[in-house]
Amino acid sequence: MTKRLPKRTVVMIGGGFTSALAARQLMPQGVDVLVLERGIDRTHSAANEIPSQRDELRWAIRHENAQNIASETYTLRHNSNETALPARSLEAFIPGDGVGGAANHWNGQSWRWAEYDPILRTHLENRYGRKAIPAELKVQDWGVTYAELERYHDLWEKLFGISGRAGNIKGEIRAGGNPFEAPRQNEYPQPPLETLEAGLILEDAAKKLGAHAFPMPAGNSSGAYTNPDGMQLGQCQYCGHCERFFCEANAKASPYVLLYPWLRRYRNFEVRAQTHVTGIDYDKRGRHVTGVRYIDLVTGEDCIQPAEVIVLGAFTMTNTKLLLIGGIGAPYDARTRRGVVGRNFCHQANSGVSVFFKDRWINPFLATGSTQTVIDDWNNDNFDHSGLGFHGGGYIYSNVTNGRPISTRPVPPGTPRWGTAWKQATADWYAHAFSISTHGSFYAHPENYLSLDPTYRDAFGQPLVRMTIDFRDNELRMSRFLTEKAAEMARATGAKIVGPTTPRTGPYDVRVYQSTHVTGGTVMGADPKTSVVSPHLQHWDAENLFVVGASIYPQNSGYNPTGPLGALALRLGDDLASYISRPRHL
Amino acid sequence: MSKMHHRRPALLGLSTGLLISIGANVFSITASADPVSNGKQAFSLCAACHRLDGKSGVGPYLNGVIGRKAGELEGFRYSRPMKSSGVVWTAEALDKYLQNPQTAMPGNRMPFSGLPDADKRADIIAYLATMK
Repeated sequence: MTKRLPKRTVVMIGGGFTSALAARQLMPQGVDVLVLERGIDRTHSAANEIPSQRDELRWAIRHENAQNIASETYTLRHNSNETALPARSLEAFIPGDGVGGAANHWNGQSWRWAEYDPILRTHLENRYGRKAIPAELKVQDWGVTYAELERYHDLWEKLFGISGRAGNIKGEIRAGGNPFEAPRQNEYPQPPLETLEAGLILEDAAKKLGAHAFPMPAGNSSGAYTNPDGMQLGQCQYCGHCERFFCEANAKASPYVLLYPWLRRYRNFEVRAQTHVTGIDYDKRGRHVTGVRYIDLVTGEDCIQPAEVIVLGAFTMTNTKLLLIGGIGAPYDARTRRGVVGRNFCHQANSGVSVFFKDRWINPFLATGSTQTVIDDWNNDNFDHSGLGFHGGGYIYSNVTNGRPISTRPVPPGTPRWGTAWKQATADWYAHAFSISTHGSFYAHPENYLSLDPTYRDAFGQPLVRMTIDFRDNELRMSRFLTEKAAEMARATGAKIVGPTTPRTGPYDVRVYQSTHVTGGTVMGADPKTSVVSPHLQHWDAENLFVVGASIYPQNSGYNPTGPLGALALRLGDDLASYISRPRHL
Repeated sequence: MSKMHHRRPALLGLSTGLLISIGANVFSITASADPVSNGKQAFSLCAACHRLDGKSGVGPYLNGVIGRKAGELEGFRYSRPMKSSGVVWTAEALDKYLQNPQTAMPGNRMPFSGLPDADKRADIIAYLATMK
């Protein structure tokens, strides 16, 4: 027996970062918005305050605030000829669960992407010629330019109180910031976080090698901050419990701190927690969606929630899953390379070189998710790729985010993995080591895609999302090049011990930490043959359906994906207002 | 504003130590002469967790904190050291606590590293004294 609920104007699937930002733009205009979130609301629970908040085993290892993979996981294979198997342990990415979503447990790394990123194909063709882009490199333009998004970036950074130092204000390059930064209208809302000892070491090395070091833009508040909505952040205490954790000091810009409490002040806003969405009703002939089906996880009831407009703002894989299950848009077929839903699935290609010092105190426990010093000289297309045999790149950074006892155990190469010698090495090096890491791009490949698994099902009886993905030649070459640059930096630090240079290699493994940034599957673009949604994030085959989230990126950059998503979600809010006042193809 | 002026005499009840530090503030170049309005500004350091409207958030509400016994608000989950401290929040006790919360009360669960600036502490306490 399915319960049919009264119709709502806008229904958003997924109570995370993007839905909240889009909803924010609609509140003052009185637009009725309902957000459906599968998880619970932990906003003021004891679980996210001291001392429970510091429980590394609970949050960082067992992922208690993330998707429970015992009820819903993913299957993996490396190419279309293999049979995929389900992931029983998930470290490569951490889907959020609960009001606020994955941005509640993020690290805070808050980049704008390069000015050319939204026009990557055009940019690469102009710079290297059409022939220099291999057929398997499925990079494409977004259909929207950075200039159009700049004011939304600016607004998002103000809402989230981002701490940083501008490198490019209106085209003028500023010392101490990122010279490769896309031009900004304004300085960051807050000054950067403190530079750590590891950052000072990397800064010196960068100087020796002629590279440019600067502080990572951070969502971890460098001071007490009040945003344009009157929402407040405390000052970061550098406790090293950011990624995978709620912030004990209300200092990490997060949806549950800044967005949902503000949205709840409006009568035209409702977030309905513990609602697991199972489908979107689609009128194929009318090219319209009509409602959302969900299971009320408290009562067990099946519900239909009719809607004028639906926003699909769930986790990357869920966005693709719901379109495939609903038969909305043509599924991607890797054999014919036709179809769109599921294509351009990407991740990131990271690596690192560890450095050990006898006389420098790294003290990793005094850190935040973004207290990193960064070098952007070899990211994406910030350097000349002529003759290199690959495209893309990444940033190189002093990777100190925490000194938590389970996660952070740096020991030199050759140390036994257990026993007395391991304990002694841990004691000797804990405070004196860090990794010079790379955070690398991942460009789309026709054999990397999402589809529905023919065998395995979740706890609700629905097919699991099947990932077909591996590091292809482009990423392997890129990571070899970039990791060698990191190794040069490592050697230039004068470290007593420099660990081995280990670029990212296949096979792709879900059990290995991998930046957590999966993207693609419902990509945006100006051509319906190669994209699921328009540059306004409107579905090509259902005018009143909009999709937002990292699933819309046609390829993954070497930067973290949150910043442009913030901008795109705010812009979507304005587009929704315009659509509601006059429904049409935007 | 008039309401706030009306409440300023509450300051007279504070310790001499505090008045001395407020006095020092008068001679500093940047600060305004009014510790309460300075304190209102400096309170932004606390405001992400502490409210002044009788509702607790991440931290307990602070209106009426002066003279209150530590750890006594109903419905707020205090740490054991806070509950058993026996501290009464006088201006001196708050000053000591805010300077370094973990030194003043080891094991309490307020995630704040402390405010070394004595003038700022005095301003905040002066402001809190007006918030009944």
